[in-house]
Amino acid sequence: MHELAIAQSIVEAVEAKAVECNATSVKGVRLKVGEASGVVTDSLSFCFEMLVSLNPVLAGAHLLIDDVPHRAYCRHCDKDFAVTNFVAQCPTCQEWSSEVISGTELQIIEMEIESS
Amino acid sequence: MVKITIAQNILAANDTIAGEIQQNLSAHGIRTLNIMSSPGAGKTTLLERTIERLRGRLSIGVIEGDVETSADAERIEAAGAQTVQINTRGACHLEAHMIRDALAQIEVASLDLLVIENIGNLVCPAAWNLGEDTRVVVVSTTEGDDKPAKYPQMFAASEVMVVNKLDLLPYVDYDLQKVKRQALAINPHLRIFELSCRTGEGLDTWCEWLITVVKGVRV
Repeated sequence: MHELAIAQSIVEAVEAKAVECNATSVKGVRLKVGEASGVVTDSLSFCFEMLVSLNPVLAGAHLLIDDVPHRAYCRHCDKDFAVTNFVAQCPTCQEWSSEVISGTELQIIEMEIESS
Repeated sequence: MVKITIAQNILAANDTIAGEIQQNLSAHGIRTLNIMSSPGAGKTTLLERTIERLRGRLSIGVIEGDVETSADAERIEAAGAQTVQINTRGACHLEAHMIRDALAQIEVASLDLLVIENIGNLVCPAAWNLGEDTRVVVVSTTEGDDKPAKYPQMFAASEVMVVNKLDLLPYVDYDLQKVKRQALAINPHLRIFELSCRTGEGLDTWCEWLITVVKGVRV
């Protein structure tokens, strides 16, 4: 349910940046969304489309989402591995002392604009 | 068409406000907890019992988040803490700007501990930083023993887990060891308290820990 609030945050941030860049319209927005960020990307895209349809600067802007896998690094084995169901246990040595290296991202990377 | 690099966190606006809140409260020497759980796990009762037990030892302020009604704020106020109610009118989580506005209604200088009781929901509140020092997730023996595995982000994002309603263990199919195992698999650093707000079991240990937190011993 919080995808709507996240979509709202994206629209506000992009709109502020568009004003700063004297953009007449925003054509696209690219995000990085981690597997462990708790965001459902389908819902986020749906909410984004709904919000931009009401916004004169962002109307029709498409949303591109780069999915980032949840991965951790094991110091003991000096290897990184895929984290399944949030359990960051090294599959090789079974150690818990691994650190998450990706998958929690929730970032706006860039936007495509047209300016006057 | 021009590409413009933005490279900013989506929740940057929220994080900025949360950072200001934390700075402001730390400057006053106040520790802040963000308490989260599913509806009915016992957040408000835990707060009532905590406030009663720590009366005269800690000055506690509470920000009560609920979708509707001021029923919980009335309970907390009756227990003896300064309370501000936030009604989100449908929103599933609290955001930092709501806390900033609520703090304007609290006499902050007189507090040792601020507790933010989030909306009953194990999903959305995990994503919003409110300026807290410590996140506490409350689970209870009546809601099923699969919560950490089903809502891992909440347990990954918390520093403390409270298991409430321990007195009901003999009457429910709740595998306490399984819950602890699941939670620690997601977050090996999680500090766990087992208690019953109804009988008082485990509340002393919880309250003593709160006192050490306020004295500046970090979790």
